[in-house]
Parts: sequence; C-alpha cells; structure tokens
Amino acid sequence: MRSSRISRLVVANIRRSRNHFMLASIGIVVGIATFSFFIALAQGVRAVVLGKIFPLDQLEVVPKSLDVAVGPLALGTSTFGGDVIDDAKVTQLAAIPGVAIVYPKMRLTVPSIVWGGEALLGANLRSELVADGINPALVQADVGSGLEFRDFDDPSDPANSAPERCRTDADCGEHRWCGPPAATRRTRRNDGDDTGVIPRGTPMVCRHYVPILVSENIVELYNGGLRRAHALPKLVPDSVLGLTFNLVIGASMVEASNKGYLIEEKAMLVGFSRKAISLGLTMPVGYIQRFNVDFGSPDDAQRYHSAIVMVPEKDDVAAVAKGVADLGLEVADTGAEQAALLIAIFTLIFALVSGVIVGIAAVNIMHVFFMLVYERQHEIGIMRAVGASRGDILRIILGEAALLGAMAGVVGVAIAFGSSLVFDWISANYVPDFPYKPETYFVFPWWLVASALGFAVGFCILGALLPARRAARMEPAAVLSGH
Amino acid sequence: MLCRMGGSLVWSAPPMIRVRGMRKSYRTGKLSTEVLRGIDLEIETGEFVSIIGPSGSGKSTLLHAVGGLDNDYGGSIEVDGKDLRTLSDRQLSAYRNGNVGFVFQSFYLLPHLTLIENVSLPAVFDRGDQALADGPLLDRAHEVLRLVDLEDRAQSKPTMLSGGQRQRVAIARALFNRPKLLLGDEPTGNLDSKLGAQVIELFRKLNHDSGITVLIVTHDPRVSQITDRTLRVEDGRLFEGASPASGATAPEGEADGTSSPAEIAAKPVELEEAGA
Ligand SMILES: Nc1ncnc2c1ncn2[C@@H]1O[C@H](COP(=O)(O)OP(=O)(O)OP(=O)(O)O)[C@@H](O)[C@H]1O
Ligand SMILES: [Mg+2]
Repeated sequence: MRSSRISRLVVANIRRSRNHFMLASIGIVVGIATFSFFIALAQGVRAVVLGKIFPLDQLEVVPKSLDVAVGPLALGTSTFGGDVIDDAKVTQLAAIPGVAIVYPKMRLTVPSIVWGGEALLGANLRSELVADGINPALVQADVGSGLEFRDFDDPSDPANSAPERCRTDADCGEHRWCGPPAATRRTRRNDGDDTGVIPRGTPMVCRHYVPILVSENIVELYNGGLRRAHALPKLVPDSVLGLTFNLVIGASMVEASNKGYLIEEKAMLVGFSRKAISLGLTMPVGYIQRFNVDFGSPDDAQRYHSAIVMVPEKDDVAAVAKGVADLGLEVADTGAEQAALLIAIFTLIFALVSGVIVGIAAVNIMHVFFMLVYERQHEIGIMRAVGASRGDILRIILGEAALLGAMAGVVGVAIAFGSSLVFDWISANYVPDFPYKPETYFVFPWWLVASALGFAVGFCILGALLPARRAARMEPAAVLSGH
Repeated sequence: MLCRMGGSLVWSAPPMIRVRGMRKSYRTGKLSTEVLRGIDLEIETGEFVSIIGPSGSGKSTLLHAVGGLDNDYGGSIEVDGKDLRTLSDRQLSAYRNGNVGFVFQSFYLLPHLTLIENVSLPAVFDRGDQALADGPLLDRAHEVLRLVDLEDRAQSKPTMLSGGQRQRVAIARALFNRPKLLLGDEPTGNLDSKLGAQVIELFRKLNHDSGITVLIVTHDPRVSQITDRTLRVEDGRLFEGASPASGATAPEGEADGTSSPAEIAAKPVELEEAGA
C-alpha cells in the first residue's frame, strides 16, 4: 500500500513536470530508437544473409585444395584435378555425428554451352554451362508438380522403354521432343562453332528433356540484376517451371573441346532446390556421368566433386567441419563466416553509437533532475517533515526516472518500428529490385525490445542517481527554514 | 515520574518533551557558530506553549530538533519517552510521521495535488501496521478538512485558496496522522492579522478540545498572550516568560515564573478526558 501510494506520487510528479521530462527524454528516445532500429536491421539482414544466401544448415564439402565455385558471388568455371570424393567417402561423411544426409554431386567437366529462353524472354540468352549431377532420389521433394526429375536416358533403367520413332515434336506428346537418340555425336561444323551436323541416316526418336533443377539464387540474381541490364521481364519462380532450353556439350564460347564432336540436348526446368548448384544447372547424375565419360575417361563415372552435407543443428556445424577435415576433405568457403562477422561488427558499431547517444542523454537527464530537485526542495522538505525517510525520497526520484525511462523506451522502440515500416515501404516502392531484396529488412525479436526498454530505464536511473542522492541527503530543517 | 515537590512525593505523567543540555552549532565554511548553548526544557502533555525571541536566535533550530527534522546536536531530546538521538533515519521518519504535525510559515502545499491528496500526504509515508486503507484514508482526509472548515473544497488545488485557507490546509495535513505534538514555526507569519488570529484560534481550539500538545514559534505578541506558557530564546539560551524582566530560569522543575507545578500536573488529566 505504501509503495502503491508512493507510485501515485511518482506518477503525479511526472505529469506535473511533463514538459521538462519530455525535453530531458529526447536523448533517450533518440538513442533507444537508433539502437532498436539498427539492431533490428542487423537482425533482418542476418536473417536474409545467413538464412537464404549463406544457409548455415548445409555445408558444401569438397576435396582439399580444390577450388569449387559455390558461393553465388564466385562466378566462373573451375578446372578440376586432384582428389575426389568417392562412394566410400560419402558413406564416411554420412557417418559423422550431426550429419543428417549427404548429397554427393558430380561436376560436368566438359566445356559446354546453354542457350535459349526466347519464348519467355523475347531473346535468346547464351552462357557457358556450369552443371552438376545429383542422385535424383535425394531431391524429389523439390520437383514441381506434374514434372519428373530422373535419368530418362539410363539404358539400364527398366522404366525407360525403347524410344519410338518420330518426325516432329508433335508425334511425341507433352514434355517430349523429336530428335536424334541420346549421346548422338554431331560433327562440329567448324572450329569455335557450337552447332554440329547429325550424321546421315540417324533415326529420329522421341526424347525426354534433360530435367533440370536450379537454385533459387539464379532467379534472385536474374530478377535483381541481370534482367535490368537487358531490359527483360521479371520472373516468378513457379511460372518458369517447364521452360525448355538447349545444351551443347563439348562447345564453348571461350575454348572449344579438343574433341571433334558435340552433343546437343534439350533440357527442361523442373524445380528449384537448395541442393542445386548456386550458379548453374543441376541434373540427374547419370547424364553428367555419361557426358564426362564421353568426353573424358571411363573412370570419371565414379568421381564426385563435392557433397552437400545437411547439418540440422547449427551447434553441430563446428564438430561436423572437424569430422570433414579428418576425412581429408574440407568445407568449401561459402562466405557465411565473413558475412556473419561483418554483421556482428555492424551490430556492434551501432550498439556503440546508440550507447553513446543514450549515455549523453543520461547526462542530460542528470541535469534536468538536478534542476527538478532544486525546484522541488521545499516539497521534498515537507515530505520529509510528514514522515518520508531518505530512502523514500530516493525511491520517489528514481521511480520518476524509471517511469520516464520506460516511457522514453516505449516511444523509442515505437519510433524505430515505425521507421522500419517506412523504410520497407520505400524499399518496396522506390528501390529497384536487387538480388535477395527482402520484403522487410528488420527483425524485432522480443529480446531486442526488452533490452531497449531495459537500457532506457537503466540509463535514466543512472542519470538520476546523483540528483536523487542529493535530494535524499538534503537537510529538511535547512530547506524548510530557508537556509 | 516521581517528583519531589514541597517535601512530598507526587506522581505525575512524564513530560511530553524533555530537552537536556541541548547545543547546536552551524558550520559555514570554516566558521562554526554555536546557536544554542545548552537548552533545558520540559513541556507537559497537553500544554500550549509559544517560543519567542529575536530573529536568528535559534527558535526554528530548537523546534526542528524537537520535531525530529534534525538529529545533529549536542545534549538530548526525549519526546514521549523516546530519545530521538538514538533513532535511525527510518525510525526518526516514522516518529515524525506518527507523532509530529508540522506547520510552517510558508505553507508548503504540493501545488499539483488536491486538498484531499495534500492533507493525506502523511499516509503515503506511514509504515505502521495500522496504516489506513483507501476508504478510511478518505474519511480521515474529510475529517481533518472539516476540522479546518474546508471540507467543501476537498477537490480544489491549493492555488485556488487564500493564504489563510492554505495555512488551514497545512494544519489539516499536520493533524492527519493524529499526532501527539503539533509544532508551528511562525504559522501566522505570512498572514494578515485577521487571518492570523483565526489560525491561532484554531490551534487553541485543537489544544483545548483534543489535548494535543502545541508548540508555536512566533513573533506575534498576541499569540504568546493566548498560550499557557511563553518561552524566550536569547543568546543561545532559553528563558521562561515573554520578557527578560520576568526572570531568567533554567526550567529544571525548580522555581518557575509563570506556570505553577499544580497547573502542569493538571494537564495530563485533561488529555485522558479527551480520550487521546
Ligand atoms: N542550515 C543552516 N546552516 C547554517 N546556519 C544556519 C542554518 N540554519 C540556521 N542557521 C543559523 O542559525 C541561527 C538560528 O537560526 P534559526 O532559523 O533557528 O533562527 P530563528 O530564531 O528561527 O530566526 P527567525 O526568527 O528569523 O526565523 C541563524 O543565525 C541562522 O543563520
Ligand atoms: Mg525561524
């Protein structure tokens, strides 16, 4: 009852001095708003960067000192050599505690080209092909409905019936095309050209498109950057499923294969997968094995170039990385660590900046409270006279500071939240798309709100500490008799 | 208390206030001035006493010490059998809260609170077991406002009141926790003579009707005429009576100028009748 009555006095005092307090708390409000805004921004950026761009729950494992382009920012093809990951290594990887599942992947090691997209984009795009292969059984969940991701050209698979003869695509029905049989070698017309001539007498048969999975990164990068440069339409991921395009194996825009022949295939986009190669096409591993063997040696069929290791618990990542190293393999540098470090530094800097603002605000609070204590010395005196102890006076003043801090904190967080909405709105409406552009850049977790309020209250109390002590130590007799 | 009086032993209640050899000096910079140099004083329960003396003689200093506002002095002060010097800040605060009502020259009302809230301020700091609940607190606030004839203004703010009314509110506040001791430090100093007279009449009535012990520091000769006893502070010492001519005395219960031992002895009975 006593404390509730003291609280009522506190509230009445705050109301009375609201103009003073409003001025005094501006610094706290600004500091807390800054703090909440930037920490929420850091959290939001972190969610995008570590959640989508550099997911931490999957590691790409590669042979030691093998430079594989895996991050979306690391462009270009690499040449391969050195160690490889074979089936035994895959089994060992899967046995590391904390590893949920391993997706071995094989790189296409033949210079190749992908081209197409006219139907969708109004112009043909053409690019060096970076591709890898994966066991289709592992990614069935990522395949779009009505589409299939399997090795249609595997002669040993009983599901693949003997190809029917045809004359046009129309003879073959949906999702198939009419062309030469799989692995038909075409004669290169002339050096550097990427089309070849089908040998005379080659029968035309109904073919399945090579099913392709791509990373969502590709759509992000296309929508956010590439399409702007070429003034192309924006793509909604699901609408591009079923898109077909052409692969020319053994051709290159930079260097031609040393073989005198090419293999042309048609491919179809059937889904998006996080296990797909970041910048490139992922197909059932059988196709890659056949292409690599066709242009290389039979051994190439057994060599995986990387493996995606899923680690569901973030806490296990370090231990898994060590297990990977023990196997003579290493975790490909995805940039996640640097990104996390950058975000941490960014967070720290703004926490410091807002700390300085709030600290200066506390000094301001101190001045205002010194002034208030001076102004109210007679009231404090009379409260002492009617029975307030030193502790009561301390509690009253600090109570005012705490309440002031709580209100300033709430206002500060509200301002930060409001600004974040404005910021997101401006970004959505006026900022051109860029890769991974998020709907919101901010995350306000409960602990952020709690610590913002805590800081506001804490710094206000800190600022009021000396004035409150002075008030408590004031001699009521001296004050009340005017000395 | 057992007193030797005219050769026979007489039982009397202990005095409400007993000051023994009280000294007080103030330090300003390096200079220390002794304001009170050995004050001895006894005031019986139910007495109505005025303290006069030249400005700066230390009247307020004495009053504050008796009221527990100041605990830094030499000698001893006992009020109602309690040695104030032995009390901690909390205990002294509880003592002020439960036993003392202060009325000052400047009324010191809290301008942002209503009269009800002002007069019940002592309840805020009441740490006793029988601290009033909200309902009885409101009743008590109305009761003390009625005593000073301001019940109809209960919801007003002090700024709406005249000086005399404000001082009556201050008196009501002083009475709120039913103190044993009502201390006034020039309570009429800021009032014109007519309002001053009303306030003094109120003190007299309170003393008469409920037997509360009243001690008033004043410059106003009319006040000292009304009181049972007048004490005079001069040159750091306390004298009985309104003028130096009436004889200096160390009120050790021996020769007494104005009030006879019989009168003093009669007072406690009055208090019992009032039912405290
Ligand atoms: N807190 C203080 N610090 C320093 N000196 C003080 C203090 N309080 C009182 N004094 C000095 O002590 C002396 C007595 O002061 P006090 O207020 O008790 O006098 P008083 O008799 O009440 O005077 P007045 O009639 O003017 O109110 C004065 O000289 C005053 O200057
Ligand atoms: Mg005085």
